[in-house]
Amino acid sequence: MVTLTIDGRDVTVPKGSTILEAARQIGITIPTLCWLEKVSPTGACRICAVEIEGIDRTMTACNTPVKEGIKVTTQSEKLAEIRRKVMELMLVNHPLDCPVCDAAGECDLQNCTYGLQAAKPEYAANLERHKIRYDWPLIESDPNRCILCEKCVKVDHEVVGCDAIHVVNRGDSTIIDTVDGKPLNCEFCGNCVGVCPTGTLISKPFKFRGRPWSFTVTKSVCGFCSTGCQIEYHSRNNRVERVTSDDSTYNSGNLCINGRFGYSYLNAVGRLNAPLVGGAKSDWNGAMAFAVGKLQEIVKTHGGGAVAGIGSPRVTNEESFLFQKLLREGVGTGNIDSEARLGYAQTKTILWERLGSSGAGSSIDRLDRAGAILVVGCDLNAESTGMEYRVIKAATKNDAKLVLANPRAVKLKKYANVHLQNRPGAELALVSGLVKAIVDEGLENKEFVASRTSGFDTLKSSLAGQSLADLAAAAGVTEAELLDAARNLGGKADVAIVFGADVIRGVARSETVRAIADLALVLGAPAGEQGGVFPVEQKNNIQGMLDMGVSPDFLPGYKPAAAPGKDLWQIVEGIEQGSIKALYLLGCNPLVSFPENARIRAALAKLDLLIVQDIQSSDLSSMAHVVFPGAAAAEKSGSFTTPDNRIQCLNRAVTPPGEAREDWDILAEVYSRLTGKPHARNVAEVTAELKVETGIYDGSCQMNDGRCSGLIKAMPPAPSVYGFGTLPSIPPAVAGKQPFTLIVGAIGFHNGTMSTASENNLTVSAEGYIEIAAEDAARIGIADGARLKVSSPAGSMNGPAKVSNKLQPGILFAPHHFAGLNASALLPAGSSFVGVTVEKG
Amino acid sequence: MAQVVFSSWGRNVVDNRSGGETKEATFRLPTTFDGETVLGAFMGWDGIILYDKEVDVPAMAAEYMRRLQTLYVCGKCTPGKKGTRVAMDALGAIVAGKGKESDLAVIEELAELLKNCKCTLCPTSMVPVFDAVKHFRDDFVAYINGSKSPANRHRLVHKYTAPCQDKCPAHIDIPAYIEAIKEYRYDEALEVIRDNMPLPSVCGRVCPHPCETACRRKQVDEPISIMVLKRTASDYEWQHNIKPPMVPKPRKNKTVGIIGAGPAGVAAAYYLALEGYTSTIYEALPEGFGGGMIAVGIPPYRMPRHLLQRDIDIICSMGSEIKYGVRVGKDISLAELKQKHDAVFIAPGAHRSKPMGVEGEDKGYKGFLRGGIDFLREAYMKQPTGMGKKVCVVGGGNTAIDCVRVALREGAEESTLLYRRSRKEMPADVWEVDGADEEGVRFEFQVLPTKILVDANEQVTGVECVRMALGEPDASGRRRPEPVPGSEFVVECDTVIPAIGQDPDLSFIPPDLGIDITKWNTVVTKYVPLKGADGKGLLDGMGNPLSRILITDMDGVFAGGDAEIGPLTVVACIGNAHRAARVIQRWLEEGKAYLADDDLMEDILNYLPVYDKNEQVPWLDSVARAHQTEVHGKERASKGNYQEVELGFKDTQAVKEAERCLRCYRMAMIAV
Repeated sequence: MVTLTIDGRDVTVPKGSTILEAARQIGITIPTLCWLEKVSPTGACRICAVEIEGIDRTMTACNTPVKEGIKVTTQSEKLAEIRRKVMELMLVNHPLDCPVCDAAGECDLQNCTYGLQAAKPEYAANLERHKIRYDWPLIESDPNRCILCEKCVKVDHEVVGCDAIHVVNRGDSTIIDTVDGKPLNCEFCGNCVGVCPTGTLISKPFKFRGRPWSFTVTKSVCGFCSTGCQIEYHSRNNRVERVTSDDSTYNSGNLCINGRFGYSYLNAVGRLNAPLVGGAKSDWNGAMAFAVGKLQEIVKTHGGGAVAGIGSPRVTNEESFLFQKLLREGVGTGNIDSEARLGYAQTKTILWERLGSSGAGSSIDRLDRAGAILVVGCDLNAESTGMEYRVIKAATKNDAKLVLANPRAVKLKKYANVHLQNRPGAELALVSGLVKAIVDEGLENKEFVASRTSGFDTLKSSLAGQSLADLAAAAGVTEAELLDAARNLGGKADVAIVFGADVIRGVARSETVRAIADLALVLGAPAGEQGGVFPVEQKNNIQGMLDMGVSPDFLPGYKPAAAPGKDLWQIVEGIEQGSIKALYLLGCNPLVSFPENARIRAALAKLDLLIVQDIQSSDLSSMAHVVFPGAAAAEKSGSFTTPDNRIQCLNRAVTPPGEAREDWDILAEVYSRLTGKPHARNVAEVTAELKVETGIYDGSCQMNDGRCSGLIKAMPPAPSVYGFGTLPSIPPAVAGKQPFTLIVGAIGFHNGTMSTASENNLTVSAEGYIEIAAEDAARIGIADGARLKVSSPAGSMNGPAKVSNKLQPGILFAPHHFAGLNASALLPAGSSFVGVTVEKG
Repeated sequence: MAQVVFSSWGRNVVDNRSGGETKEATFRLPTTFDGETVLGAFMGWDGIILYDKEVDVPAMAAEYMRRLQTLYVCGKCTPGKKGTRVAMDALGAIVAGKGKESDLAVIEELAELLKNCKCTLCPTSMVPVFDAVKHFRDDFVAYINGSKSPANRHRLVHKYTAPCQDKCPAHIDIPAYIEAIKEYRYDEALEVIRDNMPLPSVCGRVCPHPCETACRRKQVDEPISIMVLKRTASDYEWQHNIKPPMVPKPRKNKTVGIIGAGPAGVAAAYYLALEGYTSTIYEALPEGFGGGMIAVGIPPYRMPRHLLQRDIDIICSMGSEIKYGVRVGKDISLAELKQKHDAVFIAPGAHRSKPMGVEGEDKGYKGFLRGGIDFLREAYMKQPTGMGKKVCVVGGGNTAIDCVRVALREGAEESTLLYRRSRKEMPADVWEVDGADEEGVRFEFQVLPTKILVDANEQVTGVECVRMALGEPDASGRRRPEPVPGSEFVVECDTVIPAIGQDPDLSFIPPDLGIDITKWNTVVTKYVPLKGADGKGLLDGMGNPLSRILITDMDGVFAGGDAEIGPLTVVACIGNAHRAARVIQRWLEEGKAYLADDDLMEDILNYLPVYDKNEQVPWLDSVARAHQTEVHGKERASKGNYQEVELGFKDTQAVKEAERCLRCYRMAMIAV
């Protein structure tokens, strides 16, 4: 600790603190303009200049670390004059378009000018104007308004890791621009807009939508991926016009394209705004009566087992709770499942068994300070951008070693100490190889293994029969790479293992997740103060949905179902075989994002009753007998739970469009009509009920300045002894019959299918594509943008080629978000990749 | 002799404009810029020096500010970015006849305000401008009232530099790469380093870093750890498997033959390759030993070989070829090379051990080894060295230290160093001597070996030495060590390694080619005859002419590295070879070998120099210099253990260290 004096007051702060931090601790405000806590200090504006006794110049408080015994003056006539004159210099040739500047009313430059009383222009220079960049998508840049605080560049580089914008030119011509001067081509997370203190970088969709002070600001939680970022909806006239996030949030104000710009799906033309019966507009009474009547008829004739429901990771905990209650109690069926069946549900169960519930989803802020991180089978940028920011932070700001295992050169590659470019589907061999390499090299966490585990010898003997060379070959990497990865991961205090869709939705997923559990134990990941095990899911409330019992085998709170119902694929089979007559689809579209969806489409056509409760009209809603228009996250109340078990309440910013209603309200009414029991009156009532029913909640929700806290999941303590498993013997890799392997997955510009209704997202990512390695494209004679036809046993697709240097030859990648491309249709159930043939389309 | 008309340099005003008694002022500046054109004025961070009263000071100040603002101001702090622009426009308006007298007051005010800038470029730029306005006010007023217009009699040449950059023999843009590290941009840092340093992993580890002796942070607390930050940038690329980004220009149809794959040879090849010229490097050592003295002189515990090889591989991948095991003069003649290539660059290094001048050294005794550099080479090449168990190394330079430390790693039970002066007078780097100490090397300071003792089988058994004491000052005023009578004693040993120094072996240069060789056995190259105020030719620190063009007396044959400079450092060889590459390019493209303005400015500023150890640097000393992790203990020098001893910074440690940098850029301009 260091003690210093600021304006005559003593303050003691940790060594390495800045003068600014020390001053804040005792409530002394030093004006700042370029300072931004979450990035490295810049010291550009010079506004925070202070005097230090004995130092014959001013020092900037924001980037000067404290020293024992120094005497700092933050307010003096001299300082006031320096600050005022510097402000006057800053304002030389600053445009006077404040009346039409989007930042007016929330402009730090205005506030600072006012605060420092820089009232008259004392300096002048010849006027030169920079071109305003109207040609960038989503973001507009007016360099003339820029004060070169570098916040945007630093957030782009240090937080996002995108490096799209830089400080370019020299002297007074210095501006923020793209490196090559071409239109911005980046991830469009808009975090640069978020931190811009002036109107230099502004959101194009928000431009001229209203003055900042004219909006109602509603604090809520993002409804796209499972990171669970805290956001603010800015709404006016019942329209959300922008989304922001404050730096004081859990996510430090950082969002991704979906969080910041994805809101435009709320205002999409295709929103369902009235109930439909048989494709025709109806009223609620008619639609409800039809659906309930039909359901009752089917139950009466065929029993409850003839009805099934598929839930949604998009809806709130309360809605998932009501959905399972409706099916189980109202209909009398246990046939309830969701897309968690594609892998997440099983993954969670295995991790729960092996690592205990707390080890099955460590809180994601434990990534920030992990000592070493393995990211396997996951494009974090696409699957959980907010977690990617944390991995970047760990790697750059906290010296974490990073091992990336992915067939593709995804964004994190640039931070990776080792990139294991494994064969698609070879994650099990890869993880087994890592376990083997770590054990062979003696790099296991010996203390943890000795004191907290059992069965290490069994694990070792299960590895004995296989050589590292064989495992490397099966994984499609080299032995040296595995050893290199092992050395980067082994012997570290706080190891994090992050894995995503290629594992969770991949082949041999259960064995792979078990192997990951063993790897975690070998590395002592469950025992570290930081790090842990992080399964990654792409949709916001998959965890809450499972907690609520939207699952054939678990009731709310993971109480085992007395008689398990049919799971997702059994439901599909049931429909195909005619035993299931009615299907209730809540907020999910299996026709786009599910594998083998041509088969599912054919099955749905056979149903006597298809109830679709959704927000967006689609092929699916046009197939439905009844459509209930639901509400999006901005339009309702309730709570979401992230995979790391943070429960967060939503706040309603706007009302659902037209006749549409909040989903809990619809479900409650259907239940009430089916059972004759009273209708839940509000969300709080449902929350109270599910707290009792699940038994996994503790505390109670308290709203504090628009954000809730207090409600937590009561996690059983970590086991005192973790048991190792055995690793299965890995057969050597056999070359696939097909010349190409197609990987289907997520991309950063979208989340699920919801964002494909967002005009903003579509501005930068309008349609699906088929990414192909440059070598392959050259060989086939395909230019970038030319059509490709790709076929698998399950189906085929036709889309534009995207020639890429991020793929190994022989591998294709296609995003799964787009109904038009429908890449998931090519996948067999239980895999995220498939062998395909490729021809010119 | 050049008479100073006016000077404000160093805040010390000498004004001889009004006649009267002439006040003397001398500066370390040449009388001419290029051997012919007279230096009229010098303007820079510490004031103005005017030799020619005809120089138009207001116009020069206006141009100084214009170039500074448009070419160098980084824009990353408000007063710097905007203040210099206001000053530039004010000065521009004055010289254009549109100025007002109030503009002069603004400039004076800005000179004070800009002291609050982030770095030193803009504040130092206001120093000569302020001095001009203050001391040449009449000239400014004449412009303002229309009675004067620009005369353009002088050509203005400028250079942007920094004390560390100036001091670095390779002139790496040190503040730029440190700033890049501060911003977590290791790739950009490395790009800047490679602009002047193609062996970053080497000079991030084993450079004696003269730059750090010219670091202004020293006046606050301790210098920035410039060298280890270079290693950080270099290691980042390697540890993240990043492909180096250099893209050479399209290949041209002229080739260069290079003798020696040492630092000078590969550096020349690198910069020629960037310009599109393919080189063939002829290396006498076998494959696996590229890198010259780095490969066979510097121990692997200081410079891991795989990293040296990585740097060499990168250079070769840019379009150069190394032919290993080819000794010029034996396998191919210099004349043949000249025939084969459009230009030849001689950079064979200095690999021949010097004799130590002791009785018995020429007798071929068993255990008396040929020389330190030979011992090291044989050890690294895993050849028999002839070393026994008790080793005595004679010498005080880095090679001697390497020998005692390598001897331990080769299995010596005792390793002793004999040096005739005191520890602090050793030319070896302090940290190397400390390193040897830690590993258990025994030192005998102020001793002179006089005789090699042998047994009947002519096997070395010891060295007879005499203690030395400082005698009376000699003609140079330095007290020379003299033997103390009766202090003779014997150091028992079975191996003696003389490590007195080395010189180039230039026997491959036939006398009939017209290439001159100095008495120190280095290649003579042409130079620009720069003279000081006293009329004497200016020399560099090695006693060579200051501003050398690096072409020999034979057309198309150039020379560099230790064989041209005399045995020096990796970084000096690289700086020298980089210049040679530029000169070779000019020769290949224009048929003339010459130094450009920038080369000349580089030499002139280096002679000045840019760093001023007496400058007061106000700054808060709240962050101490960072130190890299190091393996400690005698085990690090156990037999066969060549594992790296120094382990570099963690990235975050590097960022913190980079934040200490004061970014001491400054601009000089001369009127000629």
